[in-house]
Amino acid sequence: MTTVALVVGGLLAVASVLYVALPFLREPAPREDRLDEPGTLERRALELAEERDRALGALKELEFDHRTGKISDDDYRELVGPLRRRVAEALHALEPRAESNEERVRASG
Amino acid sequence: MARSGSPVRLVVALSVAAALAVFLLYVSVAGGTPSIQPSQLKGRSGEVALVGKVTGRPSGDPHTAQGYRFRLRDVEGSASVPVVYRGSVPDLFKVGREVRVEGRLQSGVFVAKRDTLRTKCPSKYTPAKRA
Amino acid sequence: MPELGRAALVLCLGLALYALTAGAYAAKTRRRRLARSAQNALLAAFGAAMVAAVVLLAALLRHDFSFVYVAEHTSVELPTPYKISAFWGGQEGSLLLWLMILTGFSAAAVAFGRRSGADLLAWVVPVLGLVTTFFAFMLVAVSSPFDTQVAPADGAGLNPSLQNPYMMIHPPFLYLGFVGLTIPFAFAMGALLARRTDELWIVTTRRWTLFAWTALGIGQLLGAHWAYVEVGWGGYYAWDPVENAALMPWLAATAFLHSVMIQEKRGMLKVWNMLLVILAFCLALFGTFLTRSGIVSSIHSFTQSPLGPWFLGFICLVTAGSLALVFSRLTLLRARTRMESLVSREATFLYNNLLLVALCLTILWGVAFPILSEAVRGEQITVSAPYYNFFLRIFGLPLLLLMGIGPLVAWRRASLRSLGRSFAWPAAIGLLIGGALLALGAGSSRAGLVAYTFSAFVLGSIGYEFVRGARARRALAGGSWLNALSELIARNRRRYGGYIVHASIVLLAIGVVGSSAYQTVREARLEPGQSMTVAGNRLVFRGYESRRRPNHLAIRANVDVYRGGDYLGRYRPGKNKYFAEDQVSNEVSIRRDWLTGGDLFLIADGIHDRSVDLKALVKPLVNLIWISGFIFLAGALVTLWPSAAEQRRLAARYRELRPLVRA
Repeated sequence: MTTVALVVGGLLAVASVLYVALPFLREPAPREDRLDEPGTLERRALELAEERDRALGALKELEFDHRTGKISDDDYRELVGPLRRRVAEALHALEPRAESNEERVRASG
Repeated sequence: MARSGSPVRLVVALSVAAALAVFLLYVSVAGGTPSIQPSQLKGRSGEVALVGKVTGRPSGDPHTAQGYRFRLRDVEGSASVPVVYRGSVPDLFKVGREVRVEGRLQSGVFVAKRDTLRTKCPSKYTPAKRA
Repeated sequence: MPELGRAALVLCLGLALYALTAGAYAAKTRRRRLARSAQNALLAAFGAAMVAAVVLLAALLRHDFSFVYVAEHTSVELPTPYKISAFWGGQEGSLLLWLMILTGFSAAAVAFGRRSGADLLAWVVPVLGLVTTFFAFMLVAVSSPFDTQVAPADGAGLNPSLQNPYMMIHPPFLYLGFVGLTIPFAFAMGALLARRTDELWIVTTRRWTLFAWTALGIGQLLGAHWAYVEVGWGGYYAWDPVENAALMPWLAATAFLHSVMIQEKRGMLKVWNMLLVILAFCLALFGTFLTRSGIVSSIHSFTQSPLGPWFLGFICLVTAGSLALVFSRLTLLRARTRMESLVSREATFLYNNLLLVALCLTILWGVAFPILSEAVRGEQITVSAPYYNFFLRIFGLPLLLLMGIGPLVAWRRASLRSLGRSFAWPAAIGLLIGGALLALGAGSSRAGLVAYTFSAFVLGSIGYEFVRGARARRALAGGSWLNALSELIARNRRRYGGYIVHASIVLLAIGVVGSSAYQTVREARLEPGQSMTVAGNRLVFRGYESRRRPNHLAIRANVDVYRGGDYLGRYRPGKNKYFAEDQVSNEVSIRRDWLTGGDLFLIADGIHDRSVDLKALVKPLVNLIWISGFIFLAGALVTLWPSAAEQRRLAARYRELRPLVRA
């Protein structure tokens, strides 16, 4: 029993060490070893993307709530304008190309 | 957070305060039951939870007026007290097991509250049964 | 073989330590290969833990009594399923199960998290490594399942009260839940450490949290059912500290599930969510500490083992460390939007959170009070059911009501006019049913009547949501009602899955209220031929029957049940006397009435030569509790179900930025 245990244990240890060392074995001399990290620009873009998705989501929910009758016509009229503007702003902040923004707002609304 | 004194913060603070007030009121009024061992019973007249090991020879019937009579001793010690109990007796109850029962000391005998006898599991990691 | 097990655990510990140290170093100095290497260490740790688990399982199945653990928890005649469940039936084995699940979940989280956010994952790895290190260390140095001895002829066997199917499923489900909460915690801490302000950590762990929360809920329900049918004192929850130990993290996780939605939709409550996920995880650790250390006198208490101080130390470390981390990143977490109205869905979510956390903390106080009072006054002062029931009513009833209000209110702002319209039907249903119940005599319990009225209101509001949604769907796309309904649910899984879960909780509430506020209990000593009546059921004792089985003597009292003039059947409550263990177990008899959902619960409390002390309980609607479990699971599955559209959208969001940077 002990020999089997030793062999299996040894194999396990060797396999683990190899697996842990794998990234270094695969690339012994890489061009760059830098961990990808969002820079300031990317972070800002991510924020804007999330804001855009939030605005789009809110618009969709408004539509849904209106269709199911949770929000009255009056409330809907009151709320949809500012929301659409918010979506447009968010899209514009991400991609300053006017035409595609209008299309997107129309498509989602 | 916007500094314009959002009403939500006020509501949150007030609710928390209200909950706390209710809570403290209840706890101070209702209180809890102290868990003590037989050696600590001397002189105490209020309602307590007695914790100890069953000893001696249990006799009687818990479903009659005379009650089930046994002795409880300290978990680590020899001080013991006679107990009279009425109500359900848990399955794990036997001499040597640690139990907990609520009641009060009356003229040297611990008179237990009905149906409050509970056994503690014997020394293992096993979710045990309760009364 | 035990050497292999021990070696595997030591290897696991080493790998976890490497993941912790190398992972932290790699994240700090931004080294890609080292970070990858640390991730691999976590994956390898899973392999090592599996090997250790297989060794223990093999020893259990082969009844290798040279393993102290196997000898302590099994015997030769023990049926095979219980040999398997003995794996987690003891201290050391259950720790190994925890480690196995932890490393498994960590490996999965790492494998799936590789797709995006390398910097986030780089910090998640050391956090997971830290938790894994602790549990591996416990298993290696403090409480090992691989201790050996000279093999005795036979083992001690498993406590008869644990030899039932529930032992096979209740602990594993609970562990899936407890351990599952580690993943959202690790990602939350990772996000803070990586100084990320976006929602990637939430989006990645949403399903993990849901899964853990569901498992924890089902696990608790299983435990309650076990207590009800096997332990048989007539109840299903005793507010025992160990039961509370599972309830508290579940409540915190419930609050977290809701408030995370607010953060996703409005970008608010970031600090609150951090605190909640820390609370949920720490409560999970605290829960297992409670059950293992025997620090609170509880019927579930374990040996006073050396594990206690270690666990306490680790919990303090984790709590202090994570709070310090949140504090240091406070500026990053400031939100820029604020809640617009007190009457909006966000507001109801916030109230729901406050109530859930308040309930959770009062339970925590009730559990910790004996420990604190002993430290301060020298004697343990315990609180029991009256304390917990009081606060359950105070916080639970408003929570119940909120479940009905939430769906009717729109996000952001709801004008009182549209609110009034939405409320009309559900409120009418609630009041109608409340009035009817009052007329039927439900006024005997005020809290019960209020709970029932609220429940009717909530079910009305949920039903109304489904009707409105299906109607709108039909108006849009035509088709049958059934079609519209299934399309509606398929397209809005989170919302309608959530409604189904809410409905299950309401059913649970109705079951709990019915079986506690409206139950009837009677006790009597009966000679053969004598009868007693409880809530219209006449119970006639007909005498005893004994049957000898291989390891126990089964004594049963034959009780015939009549209602009106009808004979409903013979029921046999009694006791089993186990020879080897010299123990008696209660065997209750339950008559389930599927029409009314109630139970007639019979306990043979005292067995004498001729007479029996019979205790009978009538528990209305108690079966709703178990039924609600299935609906809960169904709703959770709907919410958990992956949605291709959602995956695409999220993948796009977190990856479309790459070209932006390069350009």
